[in-house]
Amino acid sequence: MRPILAIAMKDLRLLVRDKGAAFFTFIFPLALAIFFGMVFGGGGGGPSGIRVALVVEDPGPAAAALAADLAKATGLTVTTMGTRAEGETAVRRGKADACVVLPAGFQEQADNIFAGQSMRIEARVDPRRQAEAGLLTGKLNELAFVQMSRGMTDTSKFTGMLDRARSSIAAAKGLSPQRRLLMGALLDTLGGLNEAQARLQADAEAPAGGAEAASGGGFTWRPVTVDVQPLRPEDNTPQNAFEISFPQGIVWGLMGCVVGFGVSMASERTQGTLMRLSAAPIGRHQIILGKALGCFLACVLVQGLLILMGTVAFGVHIRQPALMGLAVVSSSLGFVGVMMLMIGLMRTEGAASGMGRAVVLILAMIGGGTIPLAFMPPLLQKVSGISPFSWSTLAVEGAVWRGFTLGEMLWPCGVLAGIGLAGFLIGLMAMRWADRG
Amino acid sequence: MLTLHGIRKRFGSTVAVDGVSLSVKRGEVFGLLGPNGAGKTTTISMAIGLLAPDEGRVELEGLGAPTDPRVRAHIGVAPQALALYDDLSAEENLRFFGRVYGLGGAALAGRVAAVLEGVGLSPRGRDRVKGFSGGMKRRLNLAVALLHDPPMLLLDEPTAGVDPQSRNNILELVGRLRAEGRTVVYTTHYMEEAERLCDRVAVIDHGRLLALGTVGELVGAHGGRPTLALHHGEQVRRIETDDPVPEIARALAPGGPPLTGLAIERPNLESVFLHLTGRSLRD
Repeated sequence: MRPILAIAMKDLRLLVRDKGAAFFTFIFPLALAIFFGMVFGGGGGGPSGIRVALVVEDPGPAAAALAADLAKATGLTVTTMGTRAEGETAVRRGKADACVVLPAGFQEQADNIFAGQSMRIEARVDPRRQAEAGLLTGKLNELAFVQMSRGMTDTSKFTGMLDRARSSIAAAKGLSPQRRLLMGALLDTLGGLNEAQARLQADAEAPAGGAEAASGGGFTWRPVTVDVQPLRPEDNTPQNAFEISFPQGIVWGLMGCVVGFGVSMASERTQGTLMRLSAAPIGRHQIILGKALGCFLACVLVQGLLILMGTVAFGVHIRQPALMGLAVVSSSLGFVGVMMLMIGLMRTEGAASGMGRAVVLILAMIGGGTIPLAFMPPLLQKVSGISPFSWSTLAVEGAVWRGFTLGEMLWPCGVLAGIGLAGFLIGLMAMRWADRG
Repeated sequence: MLTLHGIRKRFGSTVAVDGVSLSVKRGEVFGLLGPNGAGKTTTISMAIGLLAPDEGRVELEGLGAPTDPRVRAHIGVAPQALALYDDLSAEENLRFFGRVYGLGGAALAGRVAAVLEGVGLSPRGRDRVKGFSGGMKRRLNLAVALLHDPPMLLLDEPTAGVDPQSRNNILELVGRLRAEGRTVVYTTHYMEEAERLCDRVAVIDHGRLLALGTVGELVGAHGGRPTLALHHGEQVRRIETDDPVPEIARALAPGGPPLTGLAIERPNLESVFLHLTGRSLRD
């Protein structure tokens, strides 16, 4: 086992030190994943802020004012949608982080906040986005407070609100006399304050005074209820463009590994290091297993790196981490087989880096490297089945957003393992055949 | 130490090695000479277990055939190609091959330091091989062969394309290896190296063993007689003779062209080689 590990570690070290190979294995796939993610409309909850789908079910002035404030608020990207169903679908499909609904009756609530009502705002948020939910709740409260302040600095509007409140108290049947007295006193006090404010506004010559009053004339109580409810996203749709582009990047990373190791084996042949290894007290199978282990580890490494970057920085959410592990391992096994096939059939560096690279490139392209599998027409999707890259993409997407069950995952993973085994055996036989000649 | 018993190897219709039998004694430096395409590489490949003979057998004394990896542990190989990883440092190359040969820990570190010292590369141990000169790479190539302290070494053209200093270092090292009692099989195209280093020499061509013996024995048997070279201005006249004095006297006699110089060319390994393998070019 020790020589096998030594060969694998040596190959990984050489891969990292070869600037060209390291670029095409690690950097290029990441750059492509980011690039395609941006092109396909990625960005998630990143630079453009929290994506809000706004649904106005009560098109009164209060809702219009709040909608306008929401649209102007920093940190939010607001898209108005026609119906609650549309807004919720946007959240389920990852096109919005939250759906905010200003429900029917919003105007009445806004007009009767002193009559026991509060402005009720509904928010439907992807439960994975707790931080965004907190920020959004705070922002909605803040904007409702501003709305409230506006209402109270409009003295005629405020007078109307107090009158409606007095009427409600007078009409209330179950209220004790003491409580009725207390509330009447409160409303009288508020009315006095409102009259004083009206006189101040009338005396004020400068229009700037209005702004001061608007910002300073608040009453501190909770004017709004934000009803936040989780909205489970659909499991079988990508939540952002990076959930498509990162599996695509993995295709290119795997291609870098296969080509890198295929060329390295050919150069070992021409440089004489393979001969030196063959003259060492180890079996041929140990040399080949060392190469295979190195390629396997490189495949795991590049997939791990892309998944980590996608998860940490680009909003890629892995729904089933255990299945992702299975996808990564089986993809790595599959591409070890492809590498073995390549080193068995391509004996020279020229053949490996020319013809070998070209064949692998074509397989990568039809396997989802250029057009993501999800966007391919059905016929092309069927054709792409000849490429091991498409099975790898399917397995990775299965764990990320396709919502595969274990049973569904076993199909692409089984195909990849089969490709790995077949490639290994055919490559081995080809090498033996060539060595005999 | 190493015995080839009538080994034969064929690639398609080409017979690369045709029934070669020879025995390399323990502690000797054994030269294997032959023109390009003579079958040296195939013979060497069978001697170190890279190829199995179609017929005959190879045996390392008391251990068996080198096709068995355990037997190969007793052989160190410095291939003609510079079998090194350019993107690794000298130390990293040595550590890697040491691990492949089963070394590890302090023993490996000690051997790495010792062989680097032996080939004069200690100060450059941490430098990447890609920055080394041809001579330094050759010396490192040899150091890898010595790493696991094998009793037998196979050095294939170890001085090809190196500067005189590196060549001298390598030849001195081979001399030290012989002094330590190691067995060395040495292939070269430089006849003076074989004359200087080898206790016995085998000449092979067209896959067959043509001659085997000490340099003196081979020169005696195949070198021909000494040659007297008489220089008459631009012209040189060569006469094979065991007794040059009468010829010189005749050349000095009046009436002939004036003698401007003379030399006696004694037969050497090169004349043996050319005599046995011919003067036609081999590409």
